[in-house]
Amino acid sequence: MPLTFKIATRNLLRNKKRTLITLSALIFNCAMLIALFAMMRYWIEQSITNITSLAIGQVQIHAPEYREDRSLYKSIENPEEYLAIAKAAEVAASPRAYGYGLASIDTKSAGAQYWGIEPSKERQTFRFAEYILEGKFLSDNSKQEVVIGRKLARSLNAKIGSELIAVVQAADGSMGNEIYRVGGILQTISEEMDRSAVIMHQNDFQELFSSAGRIHEIALNSNNKLTSTQVADEFNAAAKKVEIKTWEQLLPTLADMLRVSRSAMYVFSFIFFIAVGFGVLNTMLMATHDRVREYGMLKALGTKPWRIIVDVCSEAFVLSACAAILGSLAGVFLCFLLDTYGIDLSSMGGSMRMSGIAFDPVLRSDLKPIDIIFTIIATSACCVLASLFPAIKAARLSPIKAMQKH
Amino acid sequence: MILRLLSFLTLFFVVPGSAYAKDVDVKKILDHVDDLYRGKSSQGIMQMHVKTENWERKLKIEFWSQGKEDSLMRILAPKKEKGTATLKSGKNIWNYLPKIKRVIKIPSSMMGGSWMGSHFTNDDLVKESRMAEDYNFELSFSGKRKNKEVIEISCIPKEDAAVVWGKVLVRVQTSDWLPIDIEYYDEEMKLNRVMNFDKFKKVGARTVPTTMILQPVDKPNEKTVVSYDEINFDLELPKDLFSLRNLQR
Repeated sequence: MPLTFKIATRNLLRNKKRTLITLSALIFNCAMLIALFAMMRYWIEQSITNITSLAIGQVQIHAPEYREDRSLYKSIENPEEYLAIAKAAEVAASPRAYGYGLASIDTKSAGAQYWGIEPSKERQTFRFAEYILEGKFLSDNSKQEVVIGRKLARSLNAKIGSELIAVVQAADGSMGNEIYRVGGILQTISEEMDRSAVIMHQNDFQELFSSAGRIHEIALNSNNKLTSTQVADEFNAAAKKVEIKTWEQLLPTLADMLRVSRSAMYVFSFIFFIAVGFGVLNTMLMATHDRVREYGMLKALGTKPWRIIVDVCSEAFVLSACAAILGSLAGVFLCFLLDTYGIDLSSMGGSMRMSGIAFDPVLRSDLKPIDIIFTIIATSACCVLASLFPAIKAARLSPIKAMQKH
Repeated sequence: MILRLLSFLTLFFVVPGSAYAKDVDVKKILDHVDDLYRGKSSQGIMQMHVKTENWERKLKIEFWSQGKEDSLMRILAPKKEKGTATLKSGKNIWNYLPKIKRVIKIPSSMMGGSWMGSHFTNDDLVKESRMAEDYNFELSFSGKRKNKEVIEISCIPKEDAAVVWGKVLVRVQTSDWLPIDIEYYDEEMKLNRVMNFDKFKKVGARTVPTTMILQPVDKPNEKTVVSYDEINFDLELPKDLFSLRNLQR
């Protein structure tokens, strides 16, 4: 076998220019593929992380029909039960209460979605507490303090320390009203939060809405220890009077889109490989054509056709293996560059937003060994496959006719 | 709506003398209804009883109004909400909240929201459309219904009118043009809510309905009932009564 490869290498070196051109095309192809794979994976993973660990969570529990009209009265019965299950399953859980009303600062007012949260649990479960543009997030015991969405802050002209007046329809029908201090302004997390979120401590919320104990949502996040379906399964047994939805079910268009992006990557690479195949096919056809007389001689000397096939194919294999290894190195280097510098898409087209969820506008890379392995194997296989045609053609040469050429 | 009805009550001084069903001037009835806006002033105390699926509450409210432009309402009871006040001036509404001692203006995006938790919207308070101008109307029924001689007028909004309804049906008693009920249909011509008038009483020189029941059709268990304990018409009201400063009194 080593002899076969030695012959293959020598054959390749016979026309250095041609080999070099094909080699560089293959290297470029491998490097680009690896970088694209890594970039795409980063983007998909980042998007999922943004969804599951910023504010939405892997799974959400609501009262049945709550999501249809978001009524203050459709709260979860016995939320403690689900929090206990979450604790037992070691899944972080954040209970939240939601209500709607008016938010007003000085002469400006706007409709707002009020959030009643437990800051300590929110911090354990999610990262959105770190996504603060100005000021600070709520402290564990904060009182009469709110954190508000970015666009809401803009339309109310809110500054840190501004006095925000909340007027709401409380659960008992009365007009709940209170003054809060704006303690922080959130970064873009989702369109909805940007436009309308006023986040306050659970205790403040219950006082404002006279809604003692009402919880409308439990958001769960296992921090990737479990998949969203596994998290949902933990609760399905206990859930009789609640609706349990994974983020894929809550945001079906987004989930579909991410799934499609993933397979699109493979379709994309398939097209790449077809182009590579034709390139190699061309090179090998040229190479065998140059050596028609040699093959004729070999056959005349009694060489078996399969021997010629193996020779030609191994030539393609050596070529592609060298290209794949060098290309992978280049790809890893590209990924390293991407990771270090990143591509800031925000300069090209504003903020990145899909289905109301904000995305990190800086593209980096997330390289996994599988990307390199896949690229190397696929490149080699594709090249060998492409060389089969010229190989068979060479193997089937009639010695007499072949030697008559030139 | 409350205001419209207040003025409705306020200006019931033109009790039509001879309204025979046969030669009813529909425009005159609507104009008459609309001219009820043009009140001098009124003052009174009303009870508002709001019943919803989730809660029920009773408010005692003192109100003042001047013409169709200005009105002021102040909650007297229950204690928790005592002092909460609403000032309407032109197309603007402000609420005063005594607990936090602040006045807030209702933004236009919240005009469709509930007023004080009732089934009336903020929009109902400021609406100033004229039936005879904003609607195409016709006499749709005249005769006996439930042992009462009634006149029914269908009003369809004109295309350019700023009206939220698709159709409004007004029924009045043939004898005295006192309203019996008003039906509000949405843009899909589905009955949305019904306002019933009841307990006609003589107040001063005129007879007025002292109870109004607003019934949302999609929520049969809910309603808002407004009834007047006391109404006085054509008083001399201080000029600064309808000012933001007075609102925060």
